[in-house]
Amino acid sequence: MSGWRIVSGQTLHHRCWDGMAVLYNDLSGATHQLSEQALALLLDLRDDLLSSDDLADPALADLLDNLRSLDLIEARMAPGIEPV
Amino acid sequence: MTAVASLSPAQLRAALAGPGLTLGTGRFTTRLHSPIASVADSIGLLYADYPLLDDTAFADFHLQLTRPLTHRRWLKPQVTLLYDGRSLFRPLPLDQAYPMFEWGLNWCVSSRANRYLIVHAAVVEKNGRAAILPAPPGSGKSTLCAALVGRGGWRLLSDELTMVRLDDGLLVPLPRPVSLKNGAIDVIRAYVPDATLSPPVTDTVKGTVAHMKAPGTSVARAGETALPGWVIFPRYQAGAELTAQPLARADTFMELAANCFNYSLLAAAGFEALAGVVESAPGWRFTYSVLDEALAFFDGLARS
Repeated sequence: MSGWRIVSGQTLHHRCWDGMAVLYNDLSGATHQLSEQALALLLDLRDDLLSSDDLADPALADLLDNLRSLDLIEARMAPGIEPV
Repeated sequence: MTAVASLSPAQLRAALAGPGLTLGTGRFTTRLHSPIASVADSIGLLYADYPLLDDTAFADFHLQLTRPLTHRRWLKPQVTLLYDGRSLFRPLPLDQAYPMFEWGLNWCVSSRANRYLIVHAAVVEKNGRAAILPAPPGSGKSTLCAALVGRGGWRLLSDELTMVRLDDGLLVPLPRPVSLKNGAIDVIRAYVPDATLSPPVTDTVKGTVAHMKAPGTSVARAGETALPGWVIFPRYQAGAELTAQPLARADTFMELAANCFNYSLLAAAGFEALAGVVESAPGWRFTYSVLDEALAFFDGLARS
């Protein structure tokens, strides 16, 4: 694995108020309440602003795990490696 | 404009039993057929101020309340509601015919009017801004709504269905009789002595129910939209001090979404409409036990 990416096809409708965000996932139809930081991370992933080194920062592990558990992001595989 | 009040009781019964009555109820037109006398009497009592439209006018909803011709009809008379000629609901005891009309019309709007985001909430307006009151049954929402419109000078937009127009986020009125249940019936009889209430119907799935006539001024202004002003989650608690806690907007959004009928169906359009409401209307969690205090709190909001 070489990082994370947003699950493709999402439009990421969102609003952020007072440090908390709401996000509509138009693939699953679910609405999520996120921290402002989790939303910012998601948007950076969408815009491909983070390197592999950035994403390997342990400080981001919980946020990434949260986004993955909500099916908003998925592992980006290294070239030649197919997901099981 | 011709109003239902222009018909005598005999004419009203004849119209309902014959060609049907075409009622203007806010944004929607409903054509109702019924030979049941109690339905005609309650329509005459509670819909007197509503526009009576031509029999050829387009109707959004076609409803019939009839007595099913079962062999038990002489022992346990029942009523059934037909929507577009089809029976979609279980029959109820005949004395529940009028409440069944109100519940059926709520079903029509909440399941068919998908040009609006529809929240299960009362909504009242003063000075151009509306208070949206979402709450589960038993929370005192309709009691508070009846007190606000019957005595507090607020305009009734709806006691059950808050309709948010998708184009511009404005709230579209649907002023109809306010549904009161169980203890709330006597509370409102005492608190709003000049209110017109339908005869209570006992032993419904909701207990005893009665409907309060919507104020004539609210019916007359059914074409005037309102801006979302506040989202207030009310809860009646006997003996409690009045409390009003501001809610974070994200929490308000999530709770409102949980109270919508068609949020999921509308998908991204529903999200955007709801976000618009939450941006204009701060949320509060509101507990009350004394109606005078509750009305004073709401008046403070309207003046702010």
